[in-house]
Amino acid sequence: MASDKELSDFLKSVDKRAFKRTLYAVRDEDAALDIVQDTMIRLSEKYADRPAAELPLLFQRILSNATMDWFRRQKVRNAVVRNFSDFESAGGDGDFDILETLEALGGSLASESSADTVSRAQILLAIEAQVAQLPGRQREAFLLRYWEELDVAETAAAMGCSEGSVKTHCSRAVHALSTALKAKGISL
Amino acid sequence: MNQLIHPAPAFDAPAPSATLDAMQTRFALRVAARLTERSQDLGSDVTERLRFAREQALERARATRKAEASPSQGVTRAGAVLMGWAGSGWWLKAASVLPALALVAGLVLIQRWQDNSQVSVAAEVDTALLSDDLPPKAYSDAGFAEFLKTPNE
Repeated sequence: MASDKELSDFLKSVDKRAFKRTLYAVRDEDAALDIVQDTMIRLSEKYADRPAAELPLLFQRILSNATMDWFRRQKVRNAVVRNFSDFESAGGDGDFDILETLEALGGSLASESSADTVSRAQILLAIEAQVAQLPGRQREAFLLRYWEELDVAETAAAMGCSEGSVKTHCSRAVHALSTALKAKGISL
Repeated sequence: MNQLIHPAPAFDAPAPSATLDAMQTRFALRVAARLTERSQDLGSDVTERLRFAREQALERARATRKAEASPSQGVTRAGAVLMGWAGSGWWLKAASVLPALALVAGLVLIQRWQDNSQVSVAAEVDTALLSDDLPPKAYSDAGFAEFLKTPNE
């Protein structure tokens, strides 16, 4: 059984990534925060008795389901059948507001020169924008596999699909990101 | 552009599968590292809401654990000791079945009592018919039936 401290540490370690991941999917900050909070509460209420090692996979599974539920509720609320491609390729094309970028940085990289800081922030924003523009399933697979560091089987379990599908989604996501970032002159 | 820029992995060139996988993984992990760096720059309002969500979740977890630690039962452990049932879950289970058994037995008794009363009523009617001076066949006679219907003068 996960102790209070283990649960607290786990939630602290995943909350920001979970928020970002949900934000990429729903593109609404308040909704993303609600979904993450709902996920944390569901995990705590139903699975607090599970060992700490099981929490990451359970959390990801609940988060995916909660995000799907949100989309279903939105669909019912709007009573409009959306074109799935709206979810896949909406968003800007990578042009940045430099003032916003500087505000977001908050002086955490004080050792860098101003030019480096701005440039670095631009690159991070561009990468994030490209990730947000990936098709939903590709983005989900990519983030679970490489950001949440789940293995292929765990990612497949969290997404409710086969391991082969996970590999395909990841591979396509990497290619799409590589091509898009290269086109912007960004190499990692 | 700046120090973040390094030679890009060449996914276009043909490469052995293992090498390609390794290159893809390396690229993906670099992207993930940049995403982590970016995710540290969330606004204070978002950070605060996430902290509140964590606290809420922990509170629920504590409440759930507390509820599980003290489940409400029909007979408490102390009560079971007083009644001489200590250590025997089998007796507790058997005791919980008793009300259901009593209900079934009651229903069976009511059914039997109703059957008996119906039989005794039918027997009384038969006895009255057979012991009457009038033979039972008379009731099937149309003329006698007409006689019964006509009012007495």
